[in-house]
Amino acid sequence: MASVLASAHPQQTVYGQVGDATVPLRFSSLDEEYKVLRERAAVLDLGGHGLIEITGPDAVAFAQRVLARDVEYLTSDRCMMTLLLDADGQVVDQVLAFGREDGLLLESSCGAGGRLLAHLQANNDEGVEITDRSGDLTVLGLEGPYAWGVVGRLIDAELASLPFESVVDTTWNGADVVFARTGFTGEYGYQMIVPVEHAADLWRQSLEHAQAAGQEALELAMLEVRQPIPRHEVTEGATVVEIGANWLVDVTKDEFVGREAVLAAFEAGGGRRTIGFSGGEGVPAPGTRVWVNGQDIGEVVHAVHSVGLGATLGLARVDHDLAAAGLELTVGGTEVTTLTSPYIVPKSWSIPII
Amino acid sequence: MALRPVVVTGLGIICAAGRDPAEFWQRLTTGQGGLTPVEDEAFAVFTARHAGQVPDEWIADQLPGSDADLDRTARLALVAARQAVGMAGLTAAEAGAERFGIILGKCQATPDAAGRYQPMHRTQDVVAERLGLRGPRILVSTACAAGGNAVGLAKDKILTGEADAVLAGGVDPLLFGTYAGFAGLQALSTGPCRPYSHSDGLNLGEGAAFLLLEPLDLALARGAVPLAEVAGYGLSADAYHATAPDPTGRGGASAVRRALADAGLTPGDVQYVSGHGTGTPANDAMEAKVMRLVFGERAGQVPTSSIKSFVGHTLGAAGAVEAVASVLALRHATAPPTIGFDEDGQGRAGDLDFVPNMARPMPIGTVVSNNYAFGGNNVSLVLTTPGEPRPYEELPRRDAVITGLGPVTGAGTGVAELTEAVLAGRHGAGRGPSLEGRTFAPRSLWRHMNHLSRLAIAASRLAWEDSGLKLPRKDLDDVALIFATGAGSAESTGGFDESIAVNPNKPAVLSFSNVVLNATGGAVCQTLGLRGPTTTICNGGASASIALDCALELIRSGKAEVVLVVAADETTGTAALDTEDLPVPSPYDSGSAGAVRGSAAVAFVVESAEHCAARDGRPYAKVLGTGHANGDAAPHTDAAPHTDAAPHADADADAVARSIARAFAVASGPTTAATPAAASGAVAGLVVGAADGTAGDGTEAAAVLAGASGARLTASTALAGDCQAASGALNIALAALAVRDGVAPALTGLAAPRAGDLAAYVTKPGLDGPVDRAMALTAAPGSVRGAVLLGAQ
Repeated sequence: MASVLASAHPQQTVYGQVGDATVPLRFSSLDEEYKVLRERAAVLDLGGHGLIEITGPDAVAFAQRVLARDVEYLTSDRCMMTLLLDADGQVVDQVLAFGREDGLLLESSCGAGGRLLAHLQANNDEGVEITDRSGDLTVLGLEGPYAWGVVGRLIDAELASLPFESVVDTTWNGADVVFARTGFTGEYGYQMIVPVEHAADLWRQSLEHAQAAGQEALELAMLEVRQPIPRHEVTEGATVVEIGANWLVDVTKDEFVGREAVLAAFEAGGGRRTIGFSGGEGVPAPGTRVWVNGQDIGEVVHAVHSVGLGATLGLARVDHDLAAAGLELTVGGTEVTTLTSPYIVPKSWSIPII
Repeated sequence: MALRPVVVTGLGIICAAGRDPAEFWQRLTTGQGGLTPVEDEAFAVFTARHAGQVPDEWIADQLPGSDADLDRTARLALVAARQAVGMAGLTAAEAGAERFGIILGKCQATPDAAGRYQPMHRTQDVVAERLGLRGPRILVSTACAAGGNAVGLAKDKILTGEADAVLAGGVDPLLFGTYAGFAGLQALSTGPCRPYSHSDGLNLGEGAAFLLLEPLDLALARGAVPLAEVAGYGLSADAYHATAPDPTGRGGASAVRRALADAGLTPGDVQYVSGHGTGTPANDAMEAKVMRLVFGERAGQVPTSSIKSFVGHTLGAAGAVEAVASVLALRHATAPPTIGFDEDGQGRAGDLDFVPNMARPMPIGTVVSNNYAFGGNNVSLVLTTPGEPRPYEELPRRDAVITGLGPVTGAGTGVAELTEAVLAGRHGAGRGPSLEGRTFAPRSLWRHMNHLSRLAIAASRLAWEDSGLKLPRKDLDDVALIFATGAGSAESTGGFDESIAVNPNKPAVLSFSNVVLNATGGAVCQTLGLRGPTTTICNGGASASIALDCALELIRSGKAEVVLVVAADETTGTAALDTEDLPVPSPYDSGSAGAVRGSAAVAFVVESAEHCAARDGRPYAKVLGTGHANGDAAPHTDAAPHTDAAPHADADADAVARSIARAFAVASGPTTAATPAAASGAVAGLVVGAADGTAGDGTEAAAVLAGASGARLTASTALAGDCQAASGALNIALAALAVRDGVAPALTGLAAPRAGDLAAYVTKPGLDGPVDRAMALTAAPGSVRGAVLLGAQ
């Protein structure tokens, strides 16, 4: 599925296939887009995120059962990030759940809309209405230490200082916009869910105040603050605890699909944990073994070259008692050091919204 | 529609920057602040030392010797109250004691002369007694916004015709515990505070301020000089956080917009804004946003200053202190400055005009005075140069109905459980309510809530669901919430006080944020997403009926169509639900063993009849009338001082009779003459009384049986115990149930009534059917008695 904004992207845009979506990986260069995102304000084409609406009298009960966090009182001015699990506790997708007047709207992770839809339909015991809105709505993001200024110039200064995960239904040039304060990278972050026919206009207007950044820059910045990227981090058989996504699950909730498996993983302890590392030469491929004192303790999950660190940055899944910061490990024949997150301190943390 | 103009004719103030209005204004305009290191050695444990203290002699010099034994809070209040009455030249005798009210804002529970906590409303009762004020009496406790809120509520009491003069103000002393709490929150500046420039924290202060409000026509008729018109006021809830302001400023902006709408003005009419300006980074940044949101591109041209730079943050008094300054700014056409302002420093909001350091003479016809409080309560007042007398319309009468009930009591949680308990004749007195079996709030919020807030949230959620209301997000922005409590959270107050006793530098800060009485109301707003007008009433057991009055006023004035009233109080000593053999109080019985304290929250939804009909809602009952009267005896005045807080039996009986007569009078027609003759239609099938199982029950019963002919009397305290404000709300809820469903609790243990025959009481569970009219009584003995008359549609 191509981006509805493809015709508005610059000619040199490099696209890539992420799950079921074709998304802009970069518009210019990774370095440049990364700097924009970390130092100024970036506009993101999040069209690869599927949008699925759940409505009907039992919408909330259904969502409460399939989502791993508490959404019973998720009002139409709030959103939250959570997981959908299968009965074995395996991650199906990581979503942003928006409370709506008549139900919920789920935003999938990049390229996972189809899988999310299929999972929802397969688990629809309540007979709720599940509508794929990805054809008529799309998502634009703003992210960066000065993204709040863009919001003020683009829509309304009042929206810039919305609390995290607050949502406002507003309008832009006559179009209904679901506006949310979100953030994937530790910087000020906002999302705008807009009708596709207005998306190109909003994209172009946003570019008058900010620069576009592609999926590569976004995922790098996400990794740097340990924001989970399911397509890289969810591996066959890994539990929520091993992935380090416990915070996206609420086991105090009485019931949800996958709860027993998560509880079992919590109670079992042991297993592996995910830890960040940097250093070494080159970027190790996923699956590269991780050693310490000649012992195989795990494997690399995902690694890239971090523009911010000027070094390799990756995640390794290792024996739980070795998942600590400050350890020297051997990855692909070179030495790396484990880290505490965030690996880069976002500039937004020291910049107030005025 | 132009309503009756209400003006200020008297001012009184005592604070760190002056002992009276003249000295206060002289110091404000010459930049002489009053923030000094705290003299009390006990405060030496804190790094931050500056505060706005009132010299003892300023108080002593202005009070008669007979006031010397009163506590500091009462003494501060009396100084300012007498000044205001003196400046206005209006005594209670001239205005008519019954027509002269007092509305006091107060943030802290304050100690009596012996150092023990006294009821929140006690200071107000002392002032009322000394000045002989027997009209409407409300203690409003919206934390740091209370003083401004009081001025607004006072205007309402004049518009409803219940009073011809109201003393409105605020008071708070400097208390060690509060100081420790703010220090623990890292909210204190180490030097004199510097709002809007350095913004490194606040200073606490103490003081009292009052404004005397009268209708313009009556003020002119008696030759008084109107100083300013109270053109409008606006309340709002942030629904965001217990202590931090909503960073968008939308809560504050909404209060200003509501106040301007109430005044019939626009932002373009405003010349000066008296800011809240505490000097904390969160407040000052948020206020800059409010200025920009409200005034847009004109924000930089509307001077705004903070006189907290002179007097510190006087908490419950602050809004009144700043209202007095605002009236003086209008009178003298001068904006007081923000002193300590760093003009060369990197101001956070360089485009705004904070009137740095020098008072500024300028034409001022309209002032907006803003206050923001813990609990996310915001208040804005609009004060204008007094206009000419002009024709006006009465506040319209609009029918209001009760459409949802949310009881959370030891006898049951929710209407179904409560009804079942009533019909089965079960008693829940002394038992704690159960919140098991379902959730009432997002877990992420719930786990941070104290017990009282959980009770109140559960009650509110149940009432809301019971009403069948389904409102979109934008309509919730206008749903009002009135919280009623006698003493707030016993758990948080106790926990905080204990932590201070152990180490004043390690206060339990989470408990501290819940010590303010309005914290629970704020938690309800946050949980249910209500951003409409909000306030908190603390008149002991009479709080719920006074809160209902506020709800009715919001509906009558068109400021809200839907108001949630929630009352909650707790005792730390309740037993588990399955405990056997608890003592049961026997209300009205001469053999009763006494009262049993309980914990409960009871909420009810009040809706305009129009709104309810439009959505095909099913109301329980229509609110036919309410009435309140004071229980202190008339002779307790300056002329005949009387300091005993215990209710005087005759005065109490009189208060019950008068409150009932007033409720009947309101129900019978538009006249407000509260004479017994007006009570010709004084029939109620059922009266749910405020009896608690003590000797005072006989007084109430005798007055009820005389004043509400043919009624059968019952009470709720065997069912749920004496739960202060929540008992009053439970009585209202039970009266509503009797009208719609024919359900009423029975006094199963009643054998020998203290007054009247046994036949006059409900002694068997259930009624013969729904009653046409039912009355609920509320009581803060020795202070206020309330009556609420409900009827079928």
